[in-house]
Amino acid sequence: MSLSSFLPIQCQGITSLPAGQLPHYAVDGQTPQAAVRPANCQQAASVLQWAAAEKLSVMPWGGGTQMSLGNSPSRYDLALDLRGMNHLLDFQPNDLTCTVEAGMTLAGLQAALAQGGKFLPLEAPLAERATIGGVLAAGASGPLRFAFGLPRDWLIGIGVVSGQGVMTRAGGKVVKNVTGYDLNKLYTGSLGTLGVIVEATFKLSPLPAAFGALLARFDSMGQAVTAGQALCAQVFAPQGLQVIAVGQISGDKSPLTSLYERGEGLTPPLQRGVGGIYAIAFFAGRPSAVKRRLEDSARFLPERGAKDLERLEEAPARDLLHQLTDLGWSSESAPKLGLKISVPPSAVGQVVAMLEKSPLYESAVAGIIADAGFGTVRLLRWGEEIPPWPKGGEKDSLMQAIAALRAQVRALGGAVVVEQCPLEWKSQLDVWDDAPQGLEIMRRLKQKFDPQSILNPGRFLGRL
Amino acid sequence: MESTRVNENFLNELRAIVGAEYVISHPADLLVYEYDGSIDMRLPQAVVLPASTQEVSQVMALAHRYGVPLAGRGSGTGLSGGAIAPPGGMQIAFTRMNRILGVDTVNRTATVEPGVINLDLDLHANKFGLRYAPDPSSQKACSLGGNIAENAGGPHCLAYGATTNHVLGLEVVLEDGAVVNLGNLAREAPGYDLRGVFVGSEGTFGVATKIVVRLLPLPETVKTFLGIFPDIDSACTAVSAIIGYGIVPAALEMIDALSIRAVQNVMDAGYPLDAGAVLLVELEGLKEEVSETSQEVEAALWEAGAAQVRVAEAAQERARLWLGRKNAFGAFGSIAPNYFLVDGVVPRTRLTEVLQRVSEVSQKYGMPIANVFHAGDGNLHPIMLYDGREPGAHEKALAAGGEILRVCVEFGGTLSGEHGIGLEKKEYMPLVYTEADLAAMQRVRDAFAPSGRLNPGKIFPDGQPPHKPPPQRAAPGMVA
Ligand SMILES: Cc1cc2nc3c(=O)[nH]c(=O)nc-3n(C[C@H](O)[C@H](O)[C@H](O)COP(=O)(O)OP(=O)(O)OC[C@H]3O[C@@H](n4cnc5c(N)ncnc54)[C@H](O)[C@@H]3O)c2cc1C
Repeated sequence: MSLSSFLPIQCQGITSLPAGQLPHYAVDGQTPQAAVRPANCQQAASVLQWAAAEKLSVMPWGGGTQMSLGNSPSRYDLALDLRGMNHLLDFQPNDLTCTVEAGMTLAGLQAALAQGGKFLPLEAPLAERATIGGVLAAGASGPLRFAFGLPRDWLIGIGVVSGQGVMTRAGGKVVKNVTGYDLNKLYTGSLGTLGVIVEATFKLSPLPAAFGALLARFDSMGQAVTAGQALCAQVFAPQGLQVIAVGQISGDKSPLTSLYERGEGLTPPLQRGVGGIYAIAFFAGRPSAVKRRLEDSARFLPERGAKDLERLEEAPARDLLHQLTDLGWSSESAPKLGLKISVPPSAVGQVVAMLEKSPLYESAVAGIIADAGFGTVRLLRWGEEIPPWPKGGEKDSLMQAIAALRAQVRALGGAVVVEQCPLEWKSQLDVWDDAPQGLEIMRRLKQKFDPQSILNPGRFLGRL
Repeated sequence: MESTRVNENFLNELRAIVGAEYVISHPADLLVYEYDGSIDMRLPQAVVLPASTQEVSQVMALAHRYGVPLAGRGSGTGLSGGAIAPPGGMQIAFTRMNRILGVDTVNRTATVEPGVINLDLDLHANKFGLRYAPDPSSQKACSLGGNIAENAGGPHCLAYGATTNHVLGLEVVLEDGAVVNLGNLAREAPGYDLRGVFVGSEGTFGVATKIVVRLLPLPETVKTFLGIFPDIDSACTAVSAIIGYGIVPAALEMIDALSIRAVQNVMDAGYPLDAGAVLLVELEGLKEEVSETSQEVEAALWEAGAAQVRVAEAAQERARLWLGRKNAFGAFGSIAPNYFLVDGVVPRTRLTEVLQRVSEVSQKYGMPIANVFHAGDGNLHPIMLYDGREPGAHEKALAAGGEILRVCVEFGGTLSGEHGIGLEKKEYMPLVYTEADLAAMQRVRDAFAPSGRLNPGKIFPDGQPPHKPPPQRAAPGMVA
């Protein structure tokens, strides 16, 4: 009997999705034998109980926006699609809290919260598709992380189904809570390897009434990073600041260029710049505060080398934020190679300088996006020619460049995660970089939460 | 006599590691380590005061070899019995590890040893135009190590989050003496967030020997409001109204009538004795936004029925408005010799109803209950006031506290917002968590500290009543 015909018998009421849909759930070239879409956490738990008993490996699915993340799964039997669980279970605007099922999209949640004048201060790529469970599992974030932090900072309660199919909760619905261990932190960023997130409770913020952006062109990346960091230390600091550079590109092939050109005439300096270096500061809050921050920043940056300032307000500024958040994740902008380099903020300048000299970036259709205030630097490298990319010998030199970069970044106290790369590379490199200290504890955690190793096996750091 | 593995050989080996003067084993000298800020107590078999990570590591390895259970101890201000030694066990006190190792103004972080006092760190950071935001009311006395273990909160956590939102990295010594770094200055480095789950683990995972915290820039403008209300209901209405305006103040604290009386008994904090409640609101930020939100806050206070609103901007004047709040706990001594403080949380929109229920509990037990608390985040601190020399008074206070916790849970809240579970509340855990939930937590403990020798008998329900304190001794009410 095939897995998909077996499933409905075992897990009451759940039907497996038609075989024709299975290709949709392929990850790294592996297609599951079956896919299910539970409607509630009881169903999700019964699927996992059954999978544990049968030792079937399970890959939880949300919007599928970050499925390229991670090492290739060592086994892949069952896709567990959580998008059938997409309800806002509770929203208390005056308590500034909400509880949501994991399959709801981030954009869907934000839209519902906005009706009550609130928002969850998190940005994540492809918010229209990305689910809350996926955002939490991947620990995804966006350009406003400097002010708003990471998903870990907003999650106050969680419901999870373990690798043995047991539903558990931690935290609660109140904004301050030290009742028992803070397992919210453990599950966030664990890429679904310790349990399947089925429910989340967040603390919220009042919806910012105003939004703005300031774009400033610089002559060098180093100058832009220094100026951006200085700005981040001021009382009038923006909520987020990204320094972006497009490599020495020919023509308009870089998706970053299209980022610049979008918005129909709204961003003249950027339109002019095919290739160029910009600091983009984002501001969110009360109108008076946004105005003050914007104006003071507009005075501050030119003293530090900024040219051609451009101000954006409201919709165009929000659009730019979304484009920047999605960059590298949307199908039009997906790079051949995407690196996420996390370092202490003080090391951002050094990392950028390394990248500029690296074969990963130099003379390539590539972009650098540096969160100067927070310490996250992304390198996106698009293929400039018809596949295959990269050509023969180039692959080795690129892999070497990654290894060299990792050694340097490690010395700065950081890590390089390869978020996107050609599939074949995954057999030759660990996309997560060297495991940090504490790997032994992580192994024990994995063993205790998922003893059969059925949840996303092999995908996470240390092949957990 | 408790059975213990702390024998002469063990003590000699301890002395060899840290020096004889830093091993306390004489019962008379151990007395001060018998209790913390809670009402539970137990005499440790020994207390060791290491001076470095290396010494801590050796001490932990030694305890591991002998199978000695232990608890870390910061300043002993904890209110859930976290630092109290386990049966037959010892304490590692971090008093000597109290150096601020450095402030990094570029990354805006500080690296400290666990014994550093919370306020000392903040004052040191102030010299660089920075601040350490979590400010427990005990900040003059409590240690960063204790703050990490309890995930301490404080008035300003309303806007800035609790300790966990400010800890970036930890150097931790595990039960077998292994030293491991958790977390990272690189905030998006991959891996399970072990630092995140360590914060709030109440000393059951390991001991922290170095702590890297995030510092925030000092705000441009700070403005404090003191609203005086005829009754507690109108003050609660003001809390909801302020949040309803879309304002999350830096702090939003409430003081009820009984606490006002206690405070005014010992000092003039400027609280009218006939007031039903006092609300403290602090706004921080750019001058433009503070001036805007100020108007809204003032409007909200008046609309809710304030009889008086005082405003201060200069540091000294603001300190005057805070005076009563900061000294409230010490002031309860003027009303009763003992107090028992319960830390519970409810959704902030339910404050009025919950406080009504608290006052019903007070009537039922015939015991005065005062409320001084973090109203903005729904974090209650009902304080049972009693005389421990009266037979049964102590038990009555505990029972009343238990009833209040049940009310908190009934209203969708929980058992502790900042003081931790420790010994005090372990038996209440099944009110909020299923067996499976607790088993998941236990698994994390097993992953960090498989022997279970680190702070055993805390957090998880085990049917053992917390140690009964002798009724004669007054609970330490400190001025913080
Ligand atoms: C008047 C008063 C007001 C208070 N106000 C607040 C408040 O506003 N907010 C709040 O959150 N708390 C408050 N508290 C409670 C208390 O001050 C905090 O819990 C504080 O964090 C405890 O710090 P400590 O150094 O005294 O720790 P201790 O009481 O010594 O220990 C507390 C716990 O920390 C563990 N521990 C200590 N050092 C380490 C280490 N290095 N590594 C691992 N574990 C360690 C201990 O084993 C124990 O479990 C108040 C207490 C009092 C008496």
